[in-house]
Amino acid sequence: MKRLLFSNRAWLVIALIALFVYPLVQQSQYYQHVMIMTMMAAVLASSWNILGGYAGYTSLGHAAFFGLGGYLVALAHNHYGWHPFISTWFLAVIVMAIALILGWISLRTQGSAFVVVTIAMVFIFRLVALNLSSVTNGARGLTQARPGWGEVQWSPEFIKVPFHYIMLILLCLTVFVSWRIRQSKFGLGLIAIREDEGKAEAVGINTMLYKVLAFGFSAYFMGVAGGIYSYFFTYIDPQFIFDVFTGVTMVLIAILGGRGTLWGPVLGAFIMEPLGNWVIGTFGGTQIHLAVFGGILLIVMLFMPQGILPTLSDAINQREKSNLAKVQSS
Amino acid sequence: MTIPSTHLLIQTIILGLLVGGVYALMSSGLTLIFGVMRVINVAHGAFLILGAYFTYWLFQLTGFDPIASIAFTAPVLFMLGWLFQRYALSRLENPERSSVLITFALAITMEGLMGTFWKTTLRSVKPEYASEVIQFATYRIPVTRLIGFSTALLVLLSLYLILQRTNLGRAIRATIQDRNAAQLVGVNVQMVSAITFGIGIATAAAGGSLLSMIYSFNASSQADWITRVLSVIVLGGMGSLPGALVAALILGMMEQLTAVVITLYWSPIVFYLFLFLTLIFRPQGLMGEVIREKA
Repeated sequence: MKRLLFSNRAWLVIALIALFVYPLVQQSQYYQHVMIMTMMAAVLASSWNILGGYAGYTSLGHAAFFGLGGYLVALAHNHYGWHPFISTWFLAVIVMAIALILGWISLRTQGSAFVVVTIAMVFIFRLVALNLSSVTNGARGLTQARPGWGEVQWSPEFIKVPFHYIMLILLCLTVFVSWRIRQSKFGLGLIAIREDEGKAEAVGINTMLYKVLAFGFSAYFMGVAGGIYSYFFTYIDPQFIFDVFTGVTMVLIAILGGRGTLWGPVLGAFIMEPLGNWVIGTFGGTQIHLAVFGGILLIVMLFMPQGILPTLSDAINQREKSNLAKVQSS
Repeated sequence: MTIPSTHLLIQTIILGLLVGGVYALMSSGLTLIFGVMRVINVAHGAFLILGAYFTYWLFQLTGFDPIASIAFTAPVLFMLGWLFQRYALSRLENPERSSVLITFALAITMEGLMGTFWKTTLRSVKPEYASEVIQFATYRIPVTRLIGFSTALLVLLSLYLILQRTNLGRAIRATIQDRNAAQLVGVNVQMVSAITFGIGIATAAAGGSLLSMIYSFNASSQADWITRVLSVIVLGGMGSLPGALVAALILGMMEQLTAVVITLYWSPIVFYLFLFLTLIFRPQGLMGEVIREKA
């Protein structure tokens, strides 16, 4: 079982090679685009998972940090000419710092109250972005110059390729950090908090520090992804980026794949993003997309609350056990 | 920032109180549901909009008065609420913990369906008296607001009477106080939960009818409304009906004042800030108990 899902290096290498050659083999702009968005969704869900999966604190407001990263990178690009591919890694540190402060405030609440606080948080961000027009250009959103490097503007045929690779790097980094956290004492502490916060505190875990750090880590990768996103589209729409729906998308992806597992959020992204694109492409409306998304979330929560990976591994464990029993009895 | 004249200030406060009454009605179902089953129904805003659309539909097709249509929309929404509690919420192993996510899922499903069905055009119901204004001394009061306020008080009063004077009300109050003890003395807690959920959603039908007269709405307005009613019940103290009433009046006034003193665009921040700050610094709200449950 473990061999099959977690430590089989061969699968990982195959997947990495496949992702590496993808834009060279796949010439369709549309499918290149879908892959970039899928990897971005995997980044968002994986970093949400650090707080929401390991520590068990459901935040519906992490889109706030995605959006903040997008705005910072766009502003730095427009005013100082900083190239987003480089600046986003540094500017996300500012996002993380703000997240640490907001985490320190909002993590005083628990359970449903925390969820509601994070919803309020993202709406406050949106209102500020809409009304602080001198900086954010209000409801019209921020635009950036067409992507390129130095004097060269990337041609429409080539433009998706650099974004593919930078998103791939970010995805690898996010999953790597998530994996390191899970292996560490810090990760164990987070899981202890999820299981029983009172007991975790009693055995000497500084629960507040752990939770705030998890909040910060998960905001960092959101910020980086937001920066890349805003450059990719060369436009940020505050109505869309600071939306609870954007925040809940990553939650659904993580829950679908298996909240609290390392690969669950990635798996969820590779199911939901292509599916979402297919729904929009086939039925044409974002409204139907919303209904399908909500419907899937409802069904998953009612019938498979643990998500795909844990359910699958339970099933396989069961079978191995019964096989073992058969062997022993014969 | 502008300092308004006394006349404008009083006018604003009157309007704020009238709006507050409507907010109180909209939040009453939410706080009742939380009181009985510790579930935060994030889909409440979507149910409000659904109620508003039903009212709009009846009005467009038959010219039915928006207030009178509550008699039809409330039973329909009661059934929907009852079904959702009975067949979805009650299946959850740990409703306190996962209710927000699952009702959120319901909210976006409903938003998507309503948006597909009724499109995204902003709607509102405009009966003949919609533009009439009553002159009271030197203050001007729109008739719809006055009707909205009095309807809200009427519904709240009947809700209060149901809770205080009927057996069902006694069972509901007993369940709010202590779920296990209520079950011990023979209250069918499962049924009380389903009925309470139904009643809570039925009040959203009434709230939605008023909403459709006073504001314009489309499917995505549900997000604005859920934050408003959530801040009302959080500030009032989750599960407390009197708390919700007081908080609704306060927030209604604050919203109108912000709109006048700063600008209309900033007025929603009143709700978000109150929500954020109350949950963090005074989680029990004005009149409720601590809702910091064990995570």
